[in-house]
Amino acid sequence: MNDFAELEDELKKLRPLQPSASLSERLEQALSEPFAEEKIIRPEKFRLNWVSIGFGLAAAAVFLLFARVSMERKQEQGEKTAQVSPVPKNKPALRGVAGSASSNRFIPADATQVVYNKRDEGLHFSGGSEQPLRRLRYQTHQTLRWNNPATGASLRVSYPSEEVLLIPISGQ
Amino acid sequence: MDNVAINENWKDCFSRFAPGLLLFARQWVRSQADAEDIVQDAFVKFWRRNHRIDNRALLYATVRSVALDFIRSDSRRARREMVAFSETEEAVDPQFELGDETQRALAMALDDLPRDQREVLVMKIWNDLTFAEIGTALGISQNTAASRYRYALAGLKKSLQPQ
Repeated sequence: MNDFAELEDELKKLRPLQPSASLSERLEQALSEPFAEEKIIRPEKFRLNWVSIGFGLAAAAVFLLFARVSMERKQEQGEKTAQVSPVPKNKPALRGVAGSASSNRFIPADATQVVYNKRDEGLHFSGGSEQPLRRLRYQTHQTLRWNNPATGASLRVSYPSEEVLLIPISGQ
Repeated sequence: MDNVAINENWKDCFSRFAPGLLLFARQWVRSQADAEDIVQDAFVKFWRRNHRIDNRALLYATVRSVALDFIRSDSRRARREMVAFSETEEAVDPQFELGDETQRALAMALDDLPRDQREVLVMKIWNDLTFAEIGTALGISQNTAASRYRYALAGLKKSLQPQ
């Protein structure tokens, strides 16, 4: 197998010394003695008190449980407050705009119309009529506003508008 | 003992391993008595920690560790032993039951090997450990253990050749 096979055989012929008879007796005595090495004395500050740890964990769990219950109650009260808020007497005008939920009802708050230009375009004969008509053109800016009393939200719509008014002129 | 639970009796185990363990311990100390102290301490530690007896790498690593502790803790005595060893060959206990002159020469050549090679040789030849187990016990790779073994054999062969 290798160059050292013969040498290995010679080495194996060498027999190590046998242990003395007293060694087994000493071993037996040592193994029968209590295992002092396992008695590790730790400093007081590192000693674990499992009872204290258990109580601490239990207290923490109870605290977390109460904290969670308290938060849930606050949420419920908040929902109740929103639900028992006075319902506006006016019928909602914008249910379709802001959703159908009861808490999202908008009621009209105000409406403004600002005429910022008025122009008299004179007499006209429209539609082949024999009676003249005075044509007045109004350019306005209208603003409509809705409020949601439950949530305090408001909705405002502004848009320009133009209105043409035909006034018949009666002959005197 | 807890190892009895795995059908092992400490006396059977010890009688099986004791000669090899003593020889292994002798790599660090010069007297058979010190080697016995080391083996006793190591075996008690190993057995009480309920290690499996077939974990031979750990058993020999324990012996090695105890031997190194022994040297460190008793440096004065170790120094005395080294001085005594350097002064006279007769102060050193034999490691083997020597027969003829060839075996005596072989044992002397073995003593002249570097310690790292000698301990691998002892574990391999007289304790039948694999190179993997030797590597684990000594904290070296399997290849390193095999290399040391080959170097040890080569060194022995060279020293035994007629001049």
